[in-house]
Amino acid sequence: MDTGTVLRNLLTLAWLLPLAGFVAEIYALQLRWSHRLSKAPAQLAVACIGAGFLCSLSALLYWGNETKWVGFAPVEHHTPAEGLDGGDTAPADALRPDATGGEPASEHHHQTPKFYAGTFYKLAQFGPLEITLDWYIDSLTLVMFTMVTFIATCIHLFAMGYMKDELTEEYEDHQVHLPGGHHFTRPGRFHRFFAFLSLFCFSMLGLVLAGNIFQVFIFWELVGVCSYLLIGFYVERHSASTAANKAFIMNRVGDFGFLIGLMILITSLGTFRFFDVTTADGAEQTGLFSLVRGDDGKLDISDDPSVTKSVVYLRDSHGHRLVDGTTPRTISYLLLIAAGLGVFAGSIGKSAQFPLQTWLPDAMEGPTPVSALVHSATMVAAGVYLAGRFYPMFPPEVLLGIAYIGCITLFVAATIAVVATDIKKVLAYSTISQLGYMMLGIGVGGWAAGLFHLVTHAFFKSLMFLASGSVIAGCHHEQDMRKMGGLRHKMPITAYTMLIGVIAIAGLAIPGVGNALFGQALAFSGYHSKDAIVASALAFSELNRNPLHNILFIVPLVTAGITAFYMFRLWFMTFAGQPQDEHVYEHAHENPAIMTAPLVILSLLAAGCAIGGEDGWLYCLLSFSETVPTVDRFTSERVASIVIPSHLDARDVHGTAGGLALLAAFAGTTVAYLLYCRKVVNPDDIRRQAGGVYDFLVDKWRFDTLYDVAFVRPCHIVASWCQGFDQKVLDVVLHASAAITIVVSKWERTFDEGMVDGLVNLIGNSTTNFGRSLRVVQTGRLRQYVMWIAVGVVVLFAALFTALPK
Amino acid sequence: MFQALFTSLLQETTQRSLWLAGPELALTAGIVLLLLGRLLGFDKLIPPHWIALAGAMAAFGLSLAIFYSANSTDPTAADEYFGVYFSGLMTFDKFGALVRLFLLLFLVFVLALTVLSGIPDAEDGPDFYTLLLGAVVGMLLMCSANNLLMVFLGIEMASVPSYAMAGFLKGRKQGSEAALKFVVFGAGAAGVMLYGISLLAGMLGTGDFQEIGLRLTVLFGNADGTLSDPVRAATIRTLLLALVMIFVGFAFKLSIVPFHFWTPDVFQGAPAEVGGFLSVASKAAAFALLTRLVLAIMSAGTASLQDLYLILGIAVGVIAAVTATFGNLAAYSQTNMKRMLAYSTIAHAGYMLMAIAAMMVLQSGRIGGDTSLAERSSHAVEGLLYYLAVYLFMNLGAFSITALIRNEIFSEEIEDYRGLGYQAPVLCVGMGLCLFSLVGLPPLGGFVGKLMIFASLLDAGYVHWSMWVILAIGGLNTVLSLFYYLNVLKTMYLTERPAGATTVTFPAWSSAGLYVMLVTVPIIVLGVHVQLVSNAARRAAEVLFLQ
Repeated sequence: MDTGTVLRNLLTLAWLLPLAGFVAEIYALQLRWSHRLSKAPAQLAVACIGAGFLCSLSALLYWGNETKWVGFAPVEHHTPAEGLDGGDTAPADALRPDATGGEPASEHHHQTPKFYAGTFYKLAQFGPLEITLDWYIDSLTLVMFTMVTFIATCIHLFAMGYMKDELTEEYEDHQVHLPGGHHFTRPGRFHRFFAFLSLFCFSMLGLVLAGNIFQVFIFWELVGVCSYLLIGFYVERHSASTAANKAFIMNRVGDFGFLIGLMILITSLGTFRFFDVTTADGAEQTGLFSLVRGDDGKLDISDDPSVTKSVVYLRDSHGHRLVDGTTPRTISYLLLIAAGLGVFAGSIGKSAQFPLQTWLPDAMEGPTPVSALVHSATMVAAGVYLAGRFYPMFPPEVLLGIAYIGCITLFVAATIAVVATDIKKVLAYSTISQLGYMMLGIGVGGWAAGLFHLVTHAFFKSLMFLASGSVIAGCHHEQDMRKMGGLRHKMPITAYTMLIGVIAIAGLAIPGVGNALFGQALAFSGYHSKDAIVASALAFSELNRNPLHNILFIVPLVTAGITAFYMFRLWFMTFAGQPQDEHVYEHAHENPAIMTAPLVILSLLAAGCAIGGEDGWLYCLLSFSETVPTVDRFTSERVASIVIPSHLDARDVHGTAGGLALLAAFAGTTVAYLLYCRKVVNPDDIRRQAGGVYDFLVDKWRFDTLYDVAFVRPCHIVASWCQGFDQKVLDVVLHASAAITIVVSKWERTFDEGMVDGLVNLIGNSTTNFGRSLRVVQTGRLRQYVMWIAVGVVVLFAALFTALPK
Repeated sequence: MFQALFTSLLQETTQRSLWLAGPELALTAGIVLLLLGRLLGFDKLIPPHWIALAGAMAAFGLSLAIFYSANSTDPTAADEYFGVYFSGLMTFDKFGALVRLFLLLFLVFVLALTVLSGIPDAEDGPDFYTLLLGAVVGMLLMCSANNLLMVFLGIEMASVPSYAMAGFLKGRKQGSEAALKFVVFGAGAAGVMLYGISLLAGMLGTGDFQEIGLRLTVLFGNADGTLSDPVRAATIRTLLLALVMIFVGFAFKLSIVPFHFWTPDVFQGAPAEVGGFLSVASKAAAFALLTRLVLAIMSAGTASLQDLYLILGIAVGVIAAVTATFGNLAAYSQTNMKRMLAYSTIAHAGYMLMAIAAMMVLQSGRIGGDTSLAERSSHAVEGLLYYLAVYLFMNLGAFSITALIRNEIFSEEIEDYRGLGYQAPVLCVGMGLCLFSLVGLPPLGGFVGKLMIFASLLDAGYVHWSMWVILAIGGLNTVLSLFYYLNVLKTMYLTERPAGATTVTFPAWSSAGLYVMLVTVPIIVLGVHVQLVSNAARRAAEVLFLQ
């Protein structure tokens, strides 16, 4: 078997195992292979996802071996003078699709196929449009698979401990109050939780494996459904069901844009596929990426300076312009921008970016393992993944939009995190803020930097969520940090693994120490990835003369400080200092090994996964998949003057940016230490001093209020009008028509049984009278029936005869 | 001379005709075995249903072999293979091969159902199966008939055993009464049709389908197309009367309004198994025969005949619309499941007749010179065949589930189905699929069938606008039918099982459960994987329009 087939088989297995698990788990009780008090469903789920992890990991290693590990090592960066495509791992001919994966890898990584792709199954064909299930495997897919399955395995294990309350016939939900002072009681739903988790893993992996944008959309909606199910897991709690609805509806808003983008693509480009395929009859169907980017990764834009008249010429994989008869096939530049913005709107919803960010904090109503897996590490990062995967389709104007959205989001969310007191809410806002960083990174041309941060963030954020889950479980479902404090004595493993995560996200490093070993500062993963983003942002703002773009660098820099501040505030409030609530402290305890072991494993990766920084294996692996070569700067003058910096530009300013970011992080950490550990100043005093700002932040920048006034209430008003119309007008019409139908059908019956027979009775009365004496076995009706034959013939003949042409 | 004629006849019969009539012969052998069994007393040793099933399976296997050999033969080059046999009384083409395949598949399903549901009992088994196989032989003849004589013979051979089967449950007054009505009504209709056939044959001097169209053209070819000429007026009046009378015979078989009166009584009186058989098999055969006859008459023509054919087409369309509407409205107030299904059968005959109407209107346009319409009218026949294929499964499903439920709760009243959905999920989900498909909801087969027929009506509307009116009525009827079909499901699922009602346990993995799945799963398959049957249906329909 060739490399592509092997990779496909391994990843398909990893993808489908959780689906099999889901089917078995959801019917655990019906099929009677398990019972409500059994952990078997969880063990099955762990087995499925664990096997999936092994498959993914072996796929990654197999790929590395087959490609002589070219993707794992840094590439020597030549100066641009040596040639345009000399320094990149993505030479032109490697962009060619390799559905058969036939080319053997040689020492010259020029011949290493950049990706493997193919089609599983054709769902339907509408004219030229094929709806297919495709697969597309490059190093990004492999990294995502390994990361998702690994984290999911850890979280499944953790959840086995965390959800053990559900292993009961009578689960009493203390947060649902019934009249009369009782709590709501229901049977435990342990198996259902793991079934949903398995379904989520299947959907998420399907999203990553998808080879066309429509398939991405399918799994995009599936992860949305899983998220809905998991947020609303405690469906009896009003807050949980509301939060689930909110998450789903906000995502629909983004998906609306996504759908518009899809429609633009299908009408103007005619395909959903990422890659090119050769059909059975030898014709080549060019995929999206080749159509827009040709063979050299550049947009082939017409020379027309006016943006409304500019068009992008569509090309095939060899760089030749496609023609339709004699006219070249093109797509309007504006349409391309619109499609890009549309698809990115989907990302905004899924990744909780401004202005659709408000659903993610509410989504913390779900059980904590869900928050760790779905709402920090994987699903919300799917938006970033999509932006990364779809990067070749984005013209610079869209990238600028992405950068600004990311920039606003990261700042807004970080400021709210500063005042949040619920331990999970802090992490939720931190997640939004970090997703903003990733978007910013992609937007300013740091493609690999953004995805780098995606992976590192997945590790340290899932670690911190699990640690917070451990705290919550240890403190008997207390989530308010103001009631904690000093917990590091009670739960040391949780506290110190959490500290690793906090250091990682804050981006602290010890400059100089690690240089000898790694050529990089000694630091945890977050430092490296955030560094890469900030460096790209600095390069971007330096290259673009527009002073406004400076905020794309300054804001993330300041926010790096804020990040360090609120994360250390969280850690100090929870684990350091004196216990604030004796009751909570007394009952706090460390959790069993099944919950702490995942913490330890994840903390190792949170610390070390990005080892080597931008020369390390992880970054190299990701940048190997880059579909748009970033050797050159890319300039667009159409809507606004935009220069997308190259790799080298970012490298040049790396030192400056890294230093400044580190400085900001240290400043934030120091302030947090002074305020919350040393208590130099009482934070309450500051709160009183800045009352207006504080309230504004506590109210989450009043976004919820704004949306309530702007959308929810008008919706309710329109809805009540519609309801009125429905009840007063439509229902009346409907009921009337139903009544008429009934009356008519009753009349029909009467006609059939009464009138018809009656008429015949009338006509054939004399005959009947005559035949009465002959009646032996006869009931009047039979004769009438036969009568109808004669009547029918006569009537039909008469009717047709009169209709004959004269 | 006589010697040569005899030799060639013998040669043709032994080498070709007997092979093509293989399914009929296999069934006949089954009948003979059944009768001998009763006579010699070995029916106690071998249960009669096994003999019947063996005969049916053999016939099905033969028809499958014939079907494949027909489809692998090139239609243009194979004068040897296709065409008339048995001295021109029968004809063989892909159309007949496909419908025969449907019928025999259906026969196998019905036999399996009778084995599962235990009707008939051991005592009556040989008689019942003899009648059943005999009726199917008649239907097979109907599919391949090439002569007006065979039309009558086939219809009667299919009908007479049906009369006996309708009254089969001895001692049930309702059944006997229904059978008697059926017989008398059938005899009346047959008489009228025979009269029509004799008029037509007498006028044309032949009963051969290949000749009818040509002779009509000759008869009307040299006149100016008006009724002013008294001789011609008389001829055209005779022709019209003959066609109307022949149509009456078909209308009886198809239970077309106003010749439907027997249907509700017979379906209510007869066991559900017989109802299912009558509602599907005799309809499929009658539609196949009607298609053949209409195309034989309409194969050629002049301008004046074109007008006549257009009027006839519109008339058939109107009758179809009336039938569908009547069936749906009357079904609405029924309380007995079998009686409701009887009216539903009437409604579906109306839908299928719409395909014939569309084909007639398109053909009349084709006679007028628009040769592109041949392909369109072949689409109408394709739609009809697809509808029949789906109808086979969905109607058989509905009737067989009715029979299986009857065996559990001893009732066929819809009211007694209350709350059954949770006690016998396989039966009720299967029933749901059948009823949804009968309504014509996607993604089930009924939707595709309706879509194809309605598409043909849309095409026919370009020849004459009245087809669009028929289309609108057909669409409206689909909405109407929703109410009474869903009423059954509502009863099954949304009402509580009344206290004291029989508790039903119906295991999914029993032979009856598997049978229900076997019948209902194709409904989904036909709705999703359309090419599976539509390709065969298209090939079968195309050969009818080759000339």
